[in-house]
Amino acid sequence: MNSRLLTNGMIDVSNPNIAQQWYVPIEIQMLQRWLLCAVLMNLIVLGGELLRSDTTGIYLTGLGVGSLMITRLLLPDGTASWQRWAALGFAAIGLVLGLVSLWNSDLSVYDYWSRGWLILPAALTVSWLTSASIADWCSGISADRAEAGLARNKRLEVTLEAVGSHTLLIHAVALVIIPLVWIFDVAVSPGNVLGGEIGDAFTLEHFEVILGSPTFWVWTKNSLIVSLGTTLLGLSLAVPAGYAFSRFDFSGKKQSMFAFMLIQMFPGIIILVPYFMVMKTLGLLNTSIGLIIAYSVTTLPLCVWMLKGFFDTVPRELEEAAMLDGCTQLQIFFKIVLPLSLPAVAITALFSFLSAWNEFLLALVFNTSNDQFTLPVGLASMIPSTGQRWGDFAAASILVSTPVVILFMLFQKSLVQGLSAGAVKG
Amino acid sequence: MTRIAPLPPVIAGLLFFLLSLSVNAGTLTEVRVVSEAQKYRTIQIEVSVTDARDVDRYEVWFSEQPFRTLTDALLHSQVQVADTSRLERVPEGAAYEDCWEDGLPTHRDPFGSPVISPAAKRWSCQLTGLIPNTDYWIAVVAVDYSGQLLSGQDSLSPIKTRTDIPDQLPAPPDTRPVLSILTSIVICLLALFIYLRRQDMRSGKASANVAHAYVAPALIALAVLSFYPIVYGIWLSFTDAHQSRLGQESFIGLTNFVEVFTSPGFGRVTLFTIIWSVANVTAHVGFGLMLALVLTKAHLKGKLFYRTILLMPWAIPAYISILAWKGILQTDGLFNNILGTEIELLSQVTSAQVLVILVNIWLGIPFMMMSLSGALMAIPGDMYEAADLDGVSKWDQFIHLTLPNLKSTITPLSLLGFIWSFNMFTVIYLITRGNPSVDFGQPGATDILITYVYDVAFDYGRYGVAAAWSVIIFLMLVAFSWVYVKKTKATEAVA
Repeated sequence: MNSRLLTNGMIDVSNPNIAQQWYVPIEIQMLQRWLLCAVLMNLIVLGGELLRSDTTGIYLTGLGVGSLMITRLLLPDGTASWQRWAALGFAAIGLVLGLVSLWNSDLSVYDYWSRGWLILPAALTVSWLTSASIADWCSGISADRAEAGLARNKRLEVTLEAVGSHTLLIHAVALVIIPLVWIFDVAVSPGNVLGGEIGDAFTLEHFEVILGSPTFWVWTKNSLIVSLGTTLLGLSLAVPAGYAFSRFDFSGKKQSMFAFMLIQMFPGIIILVPYFMVMKTLGLLNTSIGLIIAYSVTTLPLCVWMLKGFFDTVPRELEEAAMLDGCTQLQIFFKIVLPLSLPAVAITALFSFLSAWNEFLLALVFNTSNDQFTLPVGLASMIPSTGQRWGDFAAASILVSTPVVILFMLFQKSLVQGLSAGAVKG
Repeated sequence: MTRIAPLPPVIAGLLFFLLSLSVNAGTLTEVRVVSEAQKYRTIQIEVSVTDARDVDRYEVWFSEQPFRTLTDALLHSQVQVADTSRLERVPEGAAYEDCWEDGLPTHRDPFGSPVISPAAKRWSCQLTGLIPNTDYWIAVVAVDYSGQLLSGQDSLSPIKTRTDIPDQLPAPPDTRPVLSILTSIVICLLALFIYLRRQDMRSGKASANVAHAYVAPALIALAVLSFYPIVYGIWLSFTDAHQSRLGQESFIGLTNFVEVFTSPGFGRVTLFTIIWSVANVTAHVGFGLMLALVLTKAHLKGKLFYRTILLMPWAIPAYISILAWKGILQTDGLFNNILGTEIELLSQVTSAQVLVILVNIWLGIPFMMMSLSGALMAIPGDMYEAADLDGVSKWDQFIHLTLPNLKSTITPLSLLGFIWSFNMFTVIYLITRGNPSVDFGQPGATDILITYVYDVAFDYGRYGVAAAWSVIIFLMLVAFSWVYVKKTKATEAVA
């Protein structure tokens, strides 16, 4: 049932039987996929109606799912024309059900969306099944019209697929955006409560509270110290190691690389308790140093892998030339390799910084006093089991995440590349 | 949630300083206060009662400044005056703050508050939680049944007092064993590197003179701060390490492991962890692949826009989006707002389990999406052109061309994703903390292994048992990875 087979000239299209046999209007092909998606979405909507325990809604949506499913099963295959009428009938039923349940609802955005998933597919099916090209096809099509239809299929396919892709992507984007819009709304709504319509009030009081709160600045300072310390310590360990793994051949290289790989595979949990006890024994709990050391080591393997990957792409010729000119290894490293791979080192530094900035578990375990909290633990402490300060939390979240989101987005391409490479190799 | 062992109360020498004065002689009641400090962070007061008529309770108020009215002070504790015939005396030391009436421990109501009989002539109470070397002003007032102060107490004259017993921190644990182990690891490694370097120099490798110096810092850090804690953790799992006796753990064999395997929640929490991980990895790879396929289509408009937005769950600090989801799922949160319902989504077992999984799926898709679109773009486009020419359908192209080409990426990514999900602490800790709870001391309905280990270690302070859980988790993961790698290798060989 593939049109491309014919249009690409692999088969003699002038044979009318084959053209007729192979031609399926693009609308039917699309409906086969889209109705399946529509059924899935309506099942999700049905779940929502069940949560609402709205009996009418449950019946209407349930029947809607049923009619879409039957429509999908009865989609004409060009052999029997009764199928078209049957499918048309069920699609019409679905359309009516959708309209009734929309009329029956409160007409909120959600209602439009959820009913839309019944109404639009049903309406599309009705309009396509009544169109001339489908009617033609169902009542038996002549060879040259089938051929024209194949050309038309090819034209329309790109457009229709784009519609499908955009629908999928818009839903994905909505799922990503909704929590962000919501948190923004909470941040600018008066009072430390949830609820309220989105966009019903505007205040900057939470931002004033957060910016005026010494605690927030203490947490920020702690986070900055820890993150910058981690970046510095981590890189000063990882850069030479990554370079050595990329360039040198030495005994124990295989074993060392294996050690790094092994550590990366190790789940952090096995380290958590002993780490805590060692840090406690050494008196490094509630200090920035403890966290810096822990973070530098936990991010070390991935940093080494990222850097090794980057160094591998720096051409060796320059170093060899410098070697011939009598430079020492150290001079080569500092004067040639480092400046050349500065962008790569910067990306690794950013990765290191971001992981320390966002890390939660170790920070939670190592720091028990409020004035040693880093931002993650501090912000989480604003949402205890009682007395949750949602407005302040939301404002703080926006302040904390905006810079790192911008950094991430600016360098996402290199970050993603380095990270996936490091992760997959490890 | 106390994670540090409470400082042991230290009984100091008998330091009494008696303050005695008559307070607030009212028309009905005369209260005499005797104050003495004799315990760490504790001041004991003694009140002589001349007339307890109409008194419902005595309240002890305190402040770090002198005060005239109760609005400038804080309520420390209260002692009820009531019929004590049906109540029981609680022995000394059993309650958090000891109280006595006429020399005997007071009766307590069912909530543990001290109750004295109207006939008592003298009562005393310990006031705890007072900072050493700080002046406190303490006043005792008598309150009647309607909550009013009994007359004659309009102007208070609090007693100034202080406790001078210094904070006694527990002896710091001995750092020598740890330090000597760490030092010996470093020395051993250094010796090894020097030996290897000499060997390389002898065999004439070009970079022999510096290579080891480059990797030594990283490897030593790794050995000291990763391998050593791992070994230490394995050792801990065979000991009775507990937060109350740090550095004094002793070997107890397999007791911890027996306890873990026989604990009633073990099977349940393991099962949920596996469901959680499998559901997450499947959804991450599935949705990630779907989005990657759409985003790598040649003719799609707005790809950059979509990709930037879809990366957000990765770019935003995870704890922030997790807490945002927690807010959305509250009874008065967005989810209920949209549906127009008021369902307690997070207190029902099934919905809480499904929702934490959904939130983690939301978080993890972008990573898979980006990794997979990288791999998709690496597949040469002419393979698809050739397939098109041969009339291979899109679906068959996906099955026979795209998937086999992605296999070398999907296989390690799935394994990694499984291990990450298995150890994903933050989502469950922040959204449900393992609740709804099933039974006291057992893992909650949404606990996965790692969140339960956290509870065992840092809520119950049982480091040894927690280490045993960790080792078991680790062994599970090793076993799984081993089987997984073997299986995928086997199918590779067949293919």
